[in-house]
Amino acid sequence: MTELTLTGASLDRARLLRLFQDYGVYAGVVVLLLFNFAFTPHFVSAENFRTQAVQVAPVLIVALGMALAIGTEGVDLSVGSVMALSTSLLSLYLGYGPWIAALTAVLGGVVVGVANGALIAFVGVQPIVATLALMVAGRGLALVLLPQLKDVRDPGMARLGSGAVLGVPYLVLIAAALALVVAFVVRRTTFGRQVLAIGDSRAAARLAGLPVRRVLVVVYVCGGALAAVAGVLATARLAASDPTSLGTLMELSAITAVVVGGTPLSGGRVRVGGTVAGAVLIQLLTTTLIKHDLPPSWTQIAQAVVIVLAVYAARERGRR
Amino acid sequence: MKPIALVRHASARHLLAAGLVTSLALATGCTKSEDDSGTQSPASRQDDAGQVVASPGTGSGPTCAIDAYGGQKLDLRGATVGFSQSEKEANPFRIAETASIKAEAHKRGVKLLTANAQSQFSKQISDVQDLIAKGANLLVVAPLNSDGWEPVLRAAAARHIPIVTIDRKINATACKDYVSFIGSDFAEQGRRAADQMIEATGGKGEIAILLGAAGNNVTTERTRGFEDRIKEKAPGLKVVFRQTGEFAREKGQSVTENLIQSKPGITGIYAENDEMGLGAVNALKGAGKKPGDVKIVTIDGTRNAVQGIVDGWIYGVIESNPRFGPLAFQTLDAFTKGEKVGQDIVIKDSSYAKANAQSDLGKAY
Repeated sequence: MTELTLTGASLDRARLLRLFQDYGVYAGVVVLLLFNFAFTPHFVSAENFRTQAVQVAPVLIVALGMALAIGTEGVDLSVGSVMALSTSLLSLYLGYGPWIAALTAVLGGVVVGVANGALIAFVGVQPIVATLALMVAGRGLALVLLPQLKDVRDPGMARLGSGAVLGVPYLVLIAAALALVVAFVVRRTTFGRQVLAIGDSRAAARLAGLPVRRVLVVVYVCGGALAAVAGVLATARLAASDPTSLGTLMELSAITAVVVGGTPLSGGRVRVGGTVAGAVLIQLLTTTLIKHDLPPSWTQIAQAVVIVLAVYAARERGRR
Repeated sequence: MKPIALVRHASARHLLAAGLVTSLALATGCTKSEDDSGTQSPASRQDDAGQVVASPGTGSGPTCAIDAYGGQKLDLRGATVGFSQSEKEANPFRIAETASIKAEAHKRGVKLLTANAQSQFSKQISDVQDLIAKGANLLVVAPLNSDGWEPVLRAAAARHIPIVTIDRKINATACKDYVSFIGSDFAEQGRRAADQMIEATGGKGEIAILLGAAGNNVTTERTRGFEDRIKEKAPGLKVVFRQTGEFAREKGQSVTENLIQSKPGITGIYAENDEMGLGAVNALKGAGKKPGDVKIVTIDGTRNAVQGIVDGWIYGVIESNPRFGPLAFQTLDAFTKGEKVGQDIVIKDSSYAKANAQSDLGKAY
């Protein structure tokens, strides 16, 4: 009898934790929204929602690529430096017009992705080490290319940074479109299943005849390209190329969004919706504290609490 | 790396090679950046504005002479001066600072050895030791940190090498471990910014502060000076918002976007450096405000910010003068001749407002 109830209780607990891991992030977003509706003056306005969405867009785009890397039981620490490299290249090639400059910037991200993927898939370097190397090298290269902040006056970039369609800023549209594409790829394509299979067990995936190396390279190329797109958008918004500070600590924000969104660091699972919600949650947390003029150190502490909760939920689940 | 794996995956090698070639082409090849007409390079601008001492060498405060410090008199001409810069010349302040030292050395016909620590303190320590080993008779140091200078000071003291530190102070005894410190008074910059803010707002309304990076004495002193002066002179002006923009334009913009939505009645923004102030301008533009709707006062005196005054977006800029060259060499010259020099020399920071922004644009760095 006692044993039965105990089993029942622990089952319930496991189920609760699972629910918490899967839907906790959405609940968190709802709670923060309700709090702000009630207590933050001027929160409910189209202008404010636009601002929040625009501010979260670059983080979200980077987090999408990060989710894929984490899905293969890897990680990509070079994303912040890729943003810096992308902004440097963009500035250097703007003379040819915004399209060519943006394409060049994205190509730069692809090149870093190829280097990351090749080191990981062919040379067998641990993802954290390989991408750490590119993180250091990428920022260095960005600063060699463009040693200091430079204004961007191109009207096309200005439109990209502050323009909107039917009241929805371009940045938000692009981020939403990319999220939909990544969600589709993960759920509906062979490539998506291969990513998850590799994350579950690389050895098993190889034995099953999956093109493990190729998939890994493509995953990191996607990560690099997405980070570069985020770099272009951030540059457009800022109307300046700032390779010194653009993207610093972006890798941590992106990993936080992914992990808080319920994607386990152990791979084999990618939650795109959760990643979007994770990025929004972090944004709302920061914004709430800023709008109430609380000390900036509180934001960091609050983020830490959210991360610990998310990882705790994931750990309990792994143990089961 | 296993050779077999390489052969089997020759396509990967091709991919890598192609990647490397592309990146090289990107990095070195046919770049073409936006037309930058109308802006001169900082190096060519730096001579325009000399430097004025706020407290001259023999003014009030403790002084230092060569008898007290130890060492021998020498003629600055024919001497070798070592200059150790703390950070990469990647921002206007450091660019102007290094250029000013170099220009003054050139003007006086002094042999100058330079080193840059690239923001690594251990490198700065070995940089200075190298400069001493290469035969520097005198040292000008822009320190990265205040602490940890004992090994260098010991090496310099053994050879009686006079040291002048610029822009940041080191924790050591003046006139024993080093001769003088030349720098700005950051609290005074804050007070002068407050004066401009009071003038701009008429001393009434709600204002916000964009703080610099946390745990930085520049941030603390610019905040203290500003808030003290506001309390003292304009009790009607309320600081209702204090958030960090970490001295970066992007953070300044994001924080200001949130600020103007949650506190639409804000009348002024004090940004503790130009970059955050320019971020605030971006945010105001994005929110559809007109130039002058919100009064912005910033500190630094970079060209972009002074241009912001001309355009009407920024009300005033307090300069933080990076041109230490003339004053540093003047101090070393006087000291090595046997004259007394001040231990704490305050550099004069000018300021920019509507009246002089256009005419003094060339002096901004």
